[in-house]
Amino acid sequence: MKSYSLTRRLVITVLLVQLVSAVSIAGSAVAYERHTHFRSFDIMLRGRADSLLGAVQDAEDAADNVMLDGTEVSLPTEDIYEVVDENKRLLGQSGNWTGLDAPHSSLKDGSFFKLRLSGKHYRVLKIAGLRMVDPGDKGGGIPRRVTVIYGSPTESVWRAVWGTVAFYAMTSLALLAISGLLMFWLLNQGLAPLRELAAEAAGVSVHSWNFVPSEKVRMTKELAPLAGALAAVLHGLERSFMQQRQFVSDAAHELKTSVAVVKSSLQLLSMKRRTVREYEAGLERAYLDCERMEQIVARMLTLARVESDLESNVGLSTTDMTHSVELVMEQFETMANVKSLQLIVSSPGEVAVKVAPEELRLLCSNLILNAMQHSPSGSAVRAVVRRNGLTAELCVEDRGAGISPEALPHIFDRFYRGDPSRSRDTGGTGLGLAICKAIVSKFEGDIQIASTVNVGTTVTVHFPLDAA
Amino acid sequence: MRVLLVEDEIRLAENIASALREGPGLAVDCAEDGEMGLDLAGNLCYDLIILDLMLPKIDGLSLLRLLRGRGDRTAVLILTAKGGHSSIVELLNAGADDYLSKPFDLGELIARAKALIRRGKGNADPTLRISDVVVNTVEQTVSRGEECIELSPTEYRILEYLMHRPRVVVSKRELLEHLYDYNWEHHSNVIEAHVSNLRKKLDGTSRQPSIETLRGRGYRLLVGREESQ
Repeated sequence: MKSYSLTRRLVITVLLVQLVSAVSIAGSAVAYERHTHFRSFDIMLRGRADSLLGAVQDAEDAADNVMLDGTEVSLPTEDIYEVVDENKRLLGQSGNWTGLDAPHSSLKDGSFFKLRLSGKHYRVLKIAGLRMVDPGDKGGGIPRRVTVIYGSPTESVWRAVWGTVAFYAMTSLALLAISGLLMFWLLNQGLAPLRELAAEAAGVSVHSWNFVPSEKVRMTKELAPLAGALAAVLHGLERSFMQQRQFVSDAAHELKTSVAVVKSSLQLLSMKRRTVREYEAGLERAYLDCERMEQIVARMLTLARVESDLESNVGLSTTDMTHSVELVMEQFETMANVKSLQLIVSSPGEVAVKVAPEELRLLCSNLILNAMQHSPSGSAVRAVVRRNGLTAELCVEDRGAGISPEALPHIFDRFYRGDPSRSRDTGGTGLGLAICKAIVSKFEGDIQIASTVNVGTTVTVHFPLDAA
Repeated sequence: MRVLLVEDEIRLAENIASALREGPGLAVDCAEDGEMGLDLAGNLCYDLIILDLMLPKIDGLSLLRLLRGRGDRTAVLILTAKGGHSSIVELLNAGADDYLSKPFDLGELIARAKALIRRGKGNADPTLRISDVVVNTVEQTVSRGEECIELSPTEYRILEYLMHRPRVVVSKRELLEHLYDYNWEHHSNVIEAHVSNLRKKLDGTSRQPSIETLRGRGYRLLVGREESQ
């Protein structure tokens, strides 16, 4: 799509509207001016025609005729007239006219008509007047019917009309130009916050998330919601971008360290000639190092999977928490026997929660395995499922060494290992609890951990109960 | 020479420590977290500190700043798994002497460690020469004049240390502190026996004693006095 300027578009729109109104004003002006001018023109015509009627006098002849005494009226020379008596006898005529060609008896008395004479437009009035001749006579004189046809050129009227209209039109055009320029300037001024906002937004990149709209933008009623929405979106984006970056950086750190372990194990082995027993031990260690790396990669992929399909299957599936816990416990039975651990499940029967079955099982197995790894031999790991109002609760308790208060706030952080020396024994990747946290957040639950050193640790998980 | 290795990844720490002990014959102490590293560095008996960045309790960069803040001049080699030049610049500006990115080559780590130790002692040439005694720290060979001298690893380490500090009295305690890690039982008579053997091998039969014993104070490398007289 072609790009366009908001300012130009607005200016053009407003100017077009103005132009339309100017044209209609000019149109109405033409109509109005024409109307008023012609009204006075008509009055003038009637006046002149009347004065011409007044000039009809007794001809003082035997035939008792009437005549037109042109000397008594002064009429403009460009006007035309014709005075006819009832017998169609021409009484008088203006010099520049030869009279109507067509018989005008058909025309009504007092009507106006147009006439074109040697290139000029005339407006002509026909009046039939009753002229009392010899008013001094007995009986009030003789009434004589006289028809006066009087015309005057309309050119001057039209000139006046067009003059006025031209004045209006020119004024409108000038105003249009002035208002256009003014509007352009005002719009530019008015849109300054928008440009500022755009510039501010353009400055945002993955390297600089700083988005602070200026006071002007925040005080602009129309822009404030946009600026607010942008700021909120950017804030969210920045947070998730930072989280992702942190994860990638942490993951890179973990993987590089794992590779460094494997590489250094092999290099150490080849630093000098060694005995077969030393080589065997070294290879065994390198193999274990590789296994650990494999585990870290698998866990990282699990975490990425849990986080990637956010909300895609949330709220759709229902799982029985008790059943999941029992399944996991069954799976770990052999391992518990080897470590002589007691696995105890207590539940009020079926507790349906709105969590996908695979993820709930993953959560349970992570929590229970964690508890088992940190339990001293001969102790018990307890998993308690409860209903608690509208939520389901799962508590996993161990009687292990506990977690130090300093480590507790970081326990859900990715790649965090409370005690490095212990993680070697348990083969922890520092991702187990991070995966649990991700699952819990995904299904709108919460997870808490409480621990007392040398007493044990309890992890509590809440999920919304499935109401159905 | 004694190295403090602060690394929380235990398997990596084990491998590095073994390599440094087996290769250049360094004494290595390991710390699993920043706090322990700070405590151990407080003994001031290290010739080099190898520091990981991501550490529990106190992270590597903070630990480095704490060390430099309290006037510790020990050379510091950083092990980092993080890329990016800004972090490297930040590290060097915080007082680090060198860095290595994980995964690194053990041979390179050893070479860098030795170079840093050498520099820390004020030497640039990996071959140390005092008069006619030549110690090649790369090959770990010793010769005097034309003659190659076979030394035991401990004797070699004592000689290398003394070669770095010629004409200075080095106490038995200093030797113990710089040549053994904290897992060793410290017995000064072990040092005495080693120094005695070293002296015998270095001096042969004809020459003047090269290592002087100052009773109650320590030892002094005297090679070169013949010429100056």
